[in-house]
Amino acid sequence: MFIVGIDVGGTFTDLTAVDDATGRVVVTKVPSEPRNEAAAVLAGLEALGIAGRDVRRLVHGTTVGTNAVLERRGARVAILTTAGFRDLIEIGRTKRNIPALFVPTFVRPKPVVERKHRFEVVERLAADGAVLVALDATSVERALDAAAASGAEALAVCLLHAYLNPAHERAVADLAKGRYPRLPVSCSADVVAEYREFERFSTTVLNAYLQPIMDGYLAGLEERLRATGYAHGVLTIASSGGTMTTETARRLPIKTIFSGPAGGVSQACFVGEVAGVRDFITYDMGGTSTDVCLVRDLAPLTTSDGMLGAFPVKVPQLDMHSVGAGGGSLAWLDVDGSLKVGPRSAGASPGPVAYGLGGTEPTVTDANVVLGRIGARKRLGGRIAIDAAGALRAVAELGTRVGRAMTVEALAEGIVTIAVARMTSAIREISIQRGHDPRDFTLIAFGGAGPMHALALAQEIGIPRVLVPRHPGNFSALGLLASQIKHDDVRTRVGPLREQRGVALELFGQMEVAARHQLALEGFAAHEQRLVRSLDLRYHGQAFELNVAVGEAGAHDLDLDAIEAAFHRQHLGAYGHSSPGAAIELVNARLTAYGLVPRPSGARYRGAGGSLDGALVERRTVWFDGAPHDCPVWERERLPERASLAGPAIVEEFGATTILPPGWGGAVDAHGNLRFERETRA
Amino acid sequence: MIDPITLEVLREALVSIVREMRVTLVRTAYSSILYEGEDFSCVLMDGRAQIVAMSKGQDHPLHIVPVGWSMRAVREKFGDDIHPGDIFLHNEPYTGGTHLNDVAMIYPLFSPDGGMFVFPVVRAHWGDVGGMSPGSLSGRATEIFQEGVRIPPIRIVDRGRPNDAALDLIFSNMRGPRERRGDFQAMLGTCRKAAERIEELVGRYGSATIRDAVAELMDRAEGRMRHAIRGLRAGDYVYEAHLEAGTERLEPLTVRAKVTVAGDTITVDLAGTSPQTLGPTNVGPAMAPTGAFTIIKSFLDPGADVNSGAFRPLTVITPPGTIVNANPPAPCGGMVEVKYCVESAVMGALAQALDGKIAGDLKGGGNHCYVGGPHPRTGETFIFYEYPAGGTGGFDGGDGSNTVRAWTESDMTTLQPIEAVEQLYPVRIERTALREDSGGPGRWRGGLGLTREVRIQTTGAQLSVLAEKAVLPPFGVCGGRAGATNRFWVRRHGERVQPSSLPGKVSAFPLEPGDVLLMESSGGGGFGDPLERDPARVAADVGEGYVTAGTAETLYGVVLRKGEPDTAATAARRAWLRATRMHVRVVAGAELDGQSGRGVRLGAEAATRLGVSPGAVIEFVNPHGAPLRAWVASLAAASGAGHSLVAELAPVALRMLGVADGSEVEVRALHTGVLTA
Repeated sequence: MFIVGIDVGGTFTDLTAVDDATGRVVVTKVPSEPRNEAAAVLAGLEALGIAGRDVRRLVHGTTVGTNAVLERRGARVAILTTAGFRDLIEIGRTKRNIPALFVPTFVRPKPVVERKHRFEVVERLAADGAVLVALDATSVERALDAAAASGAEALAVCLLHAYLNPAHERAVADLAKGRYPRLPVSCSADVVAEYREFERFSTTVLNAYLQPIMDGYLAGLEERLRATGYAHGVLTIASSGGTMTTETARRLPIKTIFSGPAGGVSQACFVGEVAGVRDFITYDMGGTSTDVCLVRDLAPLTTSDGMLGAFPVKVPQLDMHSVGAGGGSLAWLDVDGSLKVGPRSAGASPGPVAYGLGGTEPTVTDANVVLGRIGARKRLGGRIAIDAAGALRAVAELGTRVGRAMTVEALAEGIVTIAVARMTSAIREISIQRGHDPRDFTLIAFGGAGPMHALALAQEIGIPRVLVPRHPGNFSALGLLASQIKHDDVRTRVGPLREQRGVALELFGQMEVAARHQLALEGFAAHEQRLVRSLDLRYHGQAFELNVAVGEAGAHDLDLDAIEAAFHRQHLGAYGHSSPGAAIELVNARLTAYGLVPRPSGARYRGAGGSLDGALVERRTVWFDGAPHDCPVWERERLPERASLAGPAIVEEFGATTILPPGWGGAVDAHGNLRFERETRA
Repeated sequence: MIDPITLEVLREALVSIVREMRVTLVRTAYSSILYEGEDFSCVLMDGRAQIVAMSKGQDHPLHIVPVGWSMRAVREKFGDDIHPGDIFLHNEPYTGGTHLNDVAMIYPLFSPDGGMFVFPVVRAHWGDVGGMSPGSLSGRATEIFQEGVRIPPIRIVDRGRPNDAALDLIFSNMRGPRERRGDFQAMLGTCRKAAERIEELVGRYGSATIRDAVAELMDRAEGRMRHAIRGLRAGDYVYEAHLEAGTERLEPLTVRAKVTVAGDTITVDLAGTSPQTLGPTNVGPAMAPTGAFTIIKSFLDPGADVNSGAFRPLTVITPPGTIVNANPPAPCGGMVEVKYCVESAVMGALAQALDGKIAGDLKGGGNHCYVGGPHPRTGETFIFYEYPAGGTGGFDGGDGSNTVRAWTESDMTTLQPIEAVEQLYPVRIERTALREDSGGPGRWRGGLGLTREVRIQTTGAQLSVLAEKAVLPPFGVCGGRAGATNRFWVRRHGERVQPSSLPGKVSAFPLEPGDVLLMESSGGGGFGDPLERDPARVAADVGEGYVTAGTAETLYGVVLRKGEPDTAATAARRAWLRATRMHVRVVAGAELDGQSGRGVRLGAEAATRLGVSPGAVIEFVNPHGAPLRAWVASLAAASGAGHSLVAELAPVALRMLGVADGSEVEVRALHTGVLTA
């Protein structure tokens, strides 16, 4: 039986399958079909030769929701909100949230719910959740009729203070279901039961915006998979790195919105655990952008304050930092003659000049071709032939305009250097944000272009160790196989922590009952459930919180002394100071519930037999630091176990190329990872 | 010359150091206004007081640009007596500070050859710097001594030794000294980290290469700016914008900007600006250049890096003793308001060199609105503070945006979450809504302002407001109309209560339980003639409720039938509106007394038809730029060849309008000039 991971991207759909009897991993890539994502999933399974009935579990990551928001083709949403506040969704906190300083022509993006689709209902709760004005059912019915008449395809119910008392929202939802049973309804307290109304409403409206699209997509996918004999539910990866059942994903599609890079980080944690690397920075470089995430003691940094375009999305997510620099980033000249790399990208179409698909402007990939770092004879992903002459021509043409005599190789190396400089800043900044020194971390590189630039990047930052895992080009899809089912829940109660022990326990109790019920529905026995508690705390007077872990579910008490000590410690770590003795306030109680799925066995890597020479593909000229080097090119799959490598060298494999510059050495470890270290100079 | 690759790598590295400084300060600051509000800026400077790098988008131009003045003040005072290990502190407006709350730390570094090198500066808003009221800023201040501790450039660390006497003195005169000291240490740590990074860069590239890169980056920014200036029409362009003052009558303060475009340089001369005032709307010498630069950069080269190279083609003259370069001891708390006014004036002048390719005007200031008093639960003083954003102006090709931080300022939150407000303060927010019809009508409409209704639920609370454009609305351009004014007023028992005679300037107005405070922010000015707006856009605006059907008809001339424009009726309506617009013949006359703004002698019949009397403010429409606002000085007897619809203006005013003596100009009444409590 197979466990299958499918990463549906904008350009390619990556598939990874592990045979759970043998531990063998097979991978493939098929073109994505925008707006018919399910077709690519089926095509990929067919390409792998795997029948649906032989699949035990299928996990997929999708950008269907993200793209629908970015391309603004979600449902027509109507919002039902507290009387007096229909414009709150547009006014927000009055931030631009897009780069617009010095730009008189900037246009603030409008929310996805138009003003004519915003309706008010008569009700009002107080700041403690008490009812000030009872819900007026007639006003709800009037609003519902108006919403339906305006052509609404989904409803968002967003009432003030509903996070404390969801009764009015529930009543509105019930009335909606009675009157218009086919309209999907998102209540703000169900989507994110946290305070701060604008962020909660924004998340809820986007959830409603995605519901019909995700519903159609997931229903279609399950139906078509069932037709192939697949007998289980489809799991979808969430922004937090866990997975969700189809039922959850259809109800809360907003939770998938930042899931794109999550699979890679999950897999890096899996690889890191096996390899004994616990503190690392993931470096995922693709065609148009690079995502980095800091992982400390195998726990990726997370946050629940995300932005999708200009709109807040308050769902648990990995704390990723994204830079607009990838293999497809264009090199260009600014009006003052400065050489720039990115953020404009050649994307998948026309793509780099070297791909011969019509691109004419040089990209980072073309620069790597000129430098010999990407071999002209080597297929990329098995399909595309490299047009080395075209890449050379494009870089040389740019060189004629730079206004300074430079060899084409020097310019190509410069393009790569500038791209690396931008990623260097990103990594430094995420590290110091949490008070870390990046030099204490290992860089784990993956994505189509990650291993190509990883060592240069590490060298720039002063990171001494780099790990390139197996299957770096399909890493995110592989990561799906290792992800657990995860439900995040939250309840807000603001008040002095010392007075809130009982409240917190009660909230945990409520959330734990709900989580166990949900996991049981999904088929997890008690011993396969893991429930983890945490609290969002702050010093009295602050306006934002730190999340403090407070142990697993089941305890009947909370050790407030220990919790306070942990909070002071975390505050010191995050902000460089703490105030022992200052009053601490509780804001949120959070519960993360895991359904533990069996992970693919960490079967011991079996490398190829034979000698290192047997893995030699060719020797070719590769440029480093302005000089040509005669450089061996190794085929990764044929590298013998424990083989050691010395730079300059190149390791090629399906979907990725690792560049080992002079001054670096490396070896294949027991798990098949490539491990590199900077050679210390005497 | 430095090679283009190293140049880009160093450009990235320098800006990255500034971003790291920001992260470090957020991570270590003690007061929430810094680590949550991010009311601070970081910058790298050089020994010649030039800005080397700032992070565009996060750092506030308002903090950064004046650092050049602070640095020059340090050099002027200390000359060559500056040594490794010295650190300077500065907040004094008259020598280049902003307002006293913004404290700059200057951390000079030296290159191995001994010269002053690239070094970090942090300017951070300290929550309190002493003075007459908590938070230090007060609309009632008449002298700077009431606004807190004034720090001229002082050496606070002398070759590594902190001057503890000075520090003790400073912190002893501020509220919350523990937090102040914490923020001071955080600024110090931030500068130290930056210094380490700069030293690393020097170790790797050498100070000569870095100097070359910095010089080249500035030269490039300069070259871009000069190139853009050469694209302007050469000449002198004058415009006047106003700050609101007066008790019974509106007696405005005027900022007068003469923008001279010559070759590849621009000079902004603010001669003719009002003398400094007793209120807080004064600034030191750095703020007007900051405003002028903000406008010139925004319209000429918004994409470039911000460094001092871009300033080189620009000269700003600020006459001493005026509100744009006040002498001690004028209070300077209203510096945001003055900066906005300078920006409006420069924009109006620059418009004449840009064929009107500018944007409708903005909200005019901070819109600071405070409700404070004893908290009924704790008895402690609470302060509920918001500063609602308004709409931005329409521009050629697009409508302004609704209630959002403007393009001249940093991107900050101006409203607190209702769910937090109602837990923290004895108030209830009853409404937060877009202000319909508040966007200035135009071919491209101004963005809408907002209305926020706050019910007071305690006794003893007081209201204070510092806002501009509460009498004279943000102007529209190129025939566009003004946006709605800012309004801050109280509804008591269903009646409207005006909390002060001069709108927008409220000091400790007593609030009663059950009062509803209405904060209404301005709409942006419109761009272009509203009668030329695409009727389909007007219909869409009415469908969204941004514009009412009545306004669609009366100001846009669009008649709707079932939500769709009626083509024939619209054409007829527009023709009629166009034909009935009020025009006057403007003639050149003597310069009139400028006590109350630019004077105009208006023909009696024109005055009657406009319904205005002396003291009123009228607006002359400029189809190619910003409108001329003038105060009716006196009524002239009907003069000229049977022409009773005349307006006599000084020649310079005709130039502001870009019209010849004797031209017909559309005119609108704006305000009676009478203030009533």
